[in-house]
Amino acid sequence: MSTTTFIRTGDLKGLVADLRAAGVGVAGPARTSDGAVDYRSITAFDDVVLDAQPRNSLKQFFLPPTEPLFKYQRKGSDVAILEISATFPPRVIVGARPCDAAAVDVLDHVMNWDYKDEPWFGRREATTIVTFACPGGDRSCFCTAVGLGPDATRGSDLLLVPAGDGYYVEVVTEKGKRLVDAYPKRFGAGAGVDATLSYREKARASVEGHVPARPDVIRQWVQEHFEDPFWADISLRCHGCGGCAAACPTCHCFDIVDEPETLTEGTRRRNWDTCQTSVFTAHASGHNPRADQCGRCRQRVNHKFAIYPARFNDILCTGCGRCARTCPAGQDVTEILNRIVAMATGQGGAA
Amino acid sequence: MTELRELARRLLSEGTVNAVLGWEEGPRGARPAFVTTPDGADRLIFDHRCVHNLASYLSPRRPHLKRLGKVAMVLKPCDARAVAGLIRETQVPRENVVLIGVRCGGVVTDPDSDATLSEATVADRCRGCPDREGKLADHTVGTAGPGFPGPSHRAQKIEELAAKPADQRWAFWQAELEKCVRCHACRQVCPMCFCDRCLADKTQPRWIESSPHARGNMAWHVARAMHLAGRCVDCGECERVCPQGIPLGLITRKIASVVAERYDFRPSDDPAVPAPVGTYRMDDPQEFIL
Amino acid sequence: MNVYQPFRVRVEEKIAETADTQTLKLRFLDEDVAKSFDFKAGQFGEYSVFGAGECTFCIASSPTRKGYIECSFKTVGKVTNAMRDVEVGDVMGFRGPYGNAFPMEKMHGGNVVFIAGGIGLAPVRCVIWNVLDERDKYKDVTIVYGARTVADLVYKRELEDWGKRPDVKLWTTVDPGGETPDWKGSVGFVPAIVEKAAPKADNSWAVVCGPPVMIKYTIPVLKKMGFTEDRILTTLENRMKCGIGKCGRCNIGPVYVCKDGPVFTAQEMAKLPNEF
Repeated sequence: MSTTTFIRTGDLKGLVADLRAAGVGVAGPARTSDGAVDYRSITAFDDVVLDAQPRNSLKQFFLPPTEPLFKYQRKGSDVAILEISATFPPRVIVGARPCDAAAVDVLDHVMNWDYKDEPWFGRREATTIVTFACPGGDRSCFCTAVGLGPDATRGSDLLLVPAGDGYYVEVVTEKGKRLVDAYPKRFGAGAGVDATLSYREKARASVEGHVPARPDVIRQWVQEHFEDPFWADISLRCHGCGGCAAACPTCHCFDIVDEPETLTEGTRRRNWDTCQTSVFTAHASGHNPRADQCGRCRQRVNHKFAIYPARFNDILCTGCGRCARTCPAGQDVTEILNRIVAMATGQGGAA
Repeated sequence: MTELRELARRLLSEGTVNAVLGWEEGPRGARPAFVTTPDGADRLIFDHRCVHNLASYLSPRRPHLKRLGKVAMVLKPCDARAVAGLIRETQVPRENVVLIGVRCGGVVTDPDSDATLSEATVADRCRGCPDREGKLADHTVGTAGPGFPGPSHRAQKIEELAAKPADQRWAFWQAELEKCVRCHACRQVCPMCFCDRCLADKTQPRWIESSPHARGNMAWHVARAMHLAGRCVDCGECERVCPQGIPLGLITRKIASVVAERYDFRPSDDPAVPAPVGTYRMDDPQEFIL
Repeated sequence: MNVYQPFRVRVEEKIAETADTQTLKLRFLDEDVAKSFDFKAGQFGEYSVFGAGECTFCIASSPTRKGYIECSFKTVGKVTNAMRDVEVGDVMGFRGPYGNAFPMEKMHGGNVVFIAGGIGLAPVRCVIWNVLDERDKYKDVTIVYGARTVADLVYKRELEDWGKRPDVKLWTTVDPGGETPDWKGSVGFVPAIVEKAAPKADNSWAVVCGPPVMIKYTIPVLKKMGFTEDRILTTLENRMKCGIGKCGRCNIGPVYVCKDGPVFTAQEMAKLPNEF
């Protein structure tokens, strides 16, 4: 797909109204009660806040913090399993950031690794992602170092770039085309790609150079330095709070728990989890193969920049920088990656 | 700053301690630093962006820090309350740590802030804070501004909430706690959450459902509030770390005020004051005991 | 139906192996599943008691025996305690089979040495029965099994059966001090008994499972006898939730125990980082 079109800002407002009138759920980055911006349900395009990176990512729209897998019902010694509906209501996310849209696509690999995760793909299929090219990030952004960029189309169904009195629209997928085709009056002629170039360049310049685009160098160093003192060094400040994983668009580790609700009924649920806690790997016997924070900090970097690339030829990170922004102790992924590149290329060692 | 660095350098070069825990300039503002060489002492900073409560690193729940050996810790007067709490509850032997007190006239809320310290930017917990230096410290360095007068905005918010009818309070907390994803980051950063095995991680029985739904979230936050009664030093780290922006400080501060009112206990940096949890006095209010 | 939804299985038999170890024989409720269910020796599954949760074990019965599966487990945590408390006739859950398997076909025509310690006999037992049920496909079969004490030996009735078979060389042993007055087996640690049993290494495979310390000291003994690392097989366990490579829990360095394992050669084990 590589068709393009144009939407005026007024029509964008109208589109959101049309979608809602058609019973389609709409979500986008909007203010919360505590003044932050989160991706959340919106009632009108006016709710959308585009100049701040949302605090959360899009992950919860596809992998909710908690979701029922099925319900069980006991009758004597027998147990009935009550399936959870596998159909998901249609939804459009308006105002996704390219790093967040890409993350969903990155996660498709693991969610389809030999076994298809139906709840994930059910929501994937029901959701159309309308991404807005990023206006530029702060010093923790490094999407260009992981093969993306402020106007990357990966994971998006439509990519909108501000131009003239509206947005230049790249139709990325069939699903995106269906959305455009369903509301033909909202889309039409307008500014061309040339009108978007300065916006794109400015955005790219604001994130480039924060981390060298050397994913192979990082991957190889991580693979070859499991026992390096670097891990113990960076883990010192880590509280093991897992705030990084909660905020991360690609951290997808989960727990599965049974929760009785009455004496005879209950639900098996899947909940977000994080490799940063000790209970994550603790065996019931008391043995914990990943005994301290050093191993946990390493695991997070390893999983993202070595394990996932080795499995799926893809980096489990979109350079959004949320982990650095959320860390209460100032752990910074850009610093970690820069140090790894420096060590790997012989330009420095552990501080 | 020079005074702090010189002291740290001396403690490290004389071998009094193996490491100094303080603050340094990180990629995103001030952050905790772990200095292990005398030369590293030059990395240390202290200013109004040093908001972190470093006492968390003394907690026995951080076995990965044991390899540092004996440490000195730079601490603000408010952080000294947490250290005193850990000593009070026998989590940290006093002689295991050298405390370098820094005089403090208040901090901002965000360690990555460009803001200068002012009435508008000061962290809420600093409003009305009477302590310019901690009495617990072995050494005290630096100079302090005059501090900021109260009242705390959070205390006002608590009063506002308390004045509301129960159903409105309930609705407020339901909406706030609905956001919780149960990452337990609030617990992990808390200097006073020192249990070796948290109630929330216990499975036999599962006291608190681990799922982030209304039931589990309410159970977790109520349990956490109760367990921090008489412990919370109001450092605000739980609220700062929360990836969901839940105003957790409203809960802990409210609990602290209840403890102050009923048991005449306010967290101080005097570890000799007995902990209200674990102390029984004949005149303790006990009308709730049947 | 999603991939996390288990088959329903009924507890057909419950055997107390030791004071803290049980075996459950589970039969699929759904006739079609019972008929079609197939697995390979070494694969594992997620067993569940509804309301308590899921737990990961190898399938301890042999794939040559259809229609049911067995698992053996030590009661240590929440789910295993609930599994101890199930009664015959109760319905449980099972998801699987997952993971890789022992290379049975490659082992055809070779000698097989089974070495197990404690509850580590459970995954090995699956392979033992697989081999014994197709006895003509293999040459010499040697079993060395040890436990701390006589009371800690699992599958006692089967040990007796194997001991009586002329086509199996069985060595049972208990740690020094773990013997009883009427104990007829050996006394000593597993690696020493392996040395004593001295199975020939030529055209042989070793299947080893037990506590880490046993594996650590047994592998050098086998290598000294001439076993090559690619013919020493073991099975690992790690904490898991999904069993299918998604939940991110069972990594040992780059390895997913659930997808790359649970069966590993000593050669593969030697490359694993020290994280298990």
